[in-house]
Amino acid sequence: MGGNSPCASCKLLRRRCTKDCIFAPYFPSDDPHRFAIVHKVFGASNVSKMLQELPVHQRVDAVNSLVYEANARVRDPVYGCVGAISYLQNQVAQLQMQLAVAQAEILCIQVQQEPVIMPTSSQLAATIDGTDEKSAFLLHNNLPAQYLNFASSSNVTHESLKRESFFGHDMVS
Amino acid sequence: MSNPISSRCAACKYLRRRCPQDCIFSPYFPSNDPQRFAYVHRIYGASNVGKLLQQLPERARSEATESLYYEALCRIQDPVYGCAGIVSWLQQQIHDVESEIAKTQAEITVFLNSTVNISEPNTQYSRTNEQGMENLTNKHKEPLQ
Repeated sequence: MGGNSPCASCKLLRRRCTKDCIFAPYFPSDDPHRFAIVHKVFGASNVSKMLQELPVHQRVDAVNSLVYEANARVRDPVYGCVGAISYLQNQVAQLQMQLAVAQAEILCIQVQQEPVIMPTSSQLAATIDGTDEKSAFLLHNNLPAQYLNFASSSNVTHESLKRESFFGHDMVS
Repeated sequence: MSNPISSRCAACKYLRRRCPQDCIFSPYFPSNDPQRFAYVHRIYGASNVGKLLQQLPERARSEATESLYYEALCRIQDPVYGCAGIVSWLQQQIHDVESEIAKTQAEITVFLNSTVNISEPNTQYSRTNEQGMENLTNKHKEPLQ
């Protein structure tokens, strides 16, 4: 894209928008805020380098995730996206406990209805032991678990984190 | 007045400059961990990090630096999705566990209803009998939402 309509990046950077502008496909001129926020947090030069290192078919998702992280950082300058991760991890842990309680309740009801059949210790263990997939995921990806205890700044709205999506479709239906 | 060459912070070493006494980076990027600043600089740039830290109260800068480092690390390990990929994965986890909870609670309701239906209609356990509701034992629970 170029010619008569510079992309949002080239408008902000006050330069000519060439035909092979790396930003143009991802930062259209009708959404100047999108590039402004990414430039504020990461810098145009860093974004350009990141995009150049990626194959073309992955750049849309990369830009969307950068926009998401930049927005998170502007909303919460201390913790950024990490605050969201910490909050969501707590949510997952609480929900897994609720699930374990509900599953144990079903077992109790089943035991009451069929008192002869006693649950095996492995069955009880299976309902109570929540698989800690989060830790497995983080350790698998060599991400330091110590950063999981971040709080969030007070002005972050947490409920929206459960549903907010940056890929143009609902991750959570 | 600047720090001696030997005690420059990791940022000033990386940027090959003098490290002033009031260097904004030096409390958070000690010289014994050069990779930390290298990662943060690679993703955010020293200038942006400096501006961000300057805009924060001093008591918040350590945590801010930690989170910047974590996000930089995530982005280097996953150049397409970075930290946002983890957020997305957690959102999916929440959705899956909530669905599982709803399914389990529905099963509990079915079990409880089947227990009540087995009872004789004129007993104190009848759900249609308001008086009977007051006589229920402690083990009976309201249907879960």
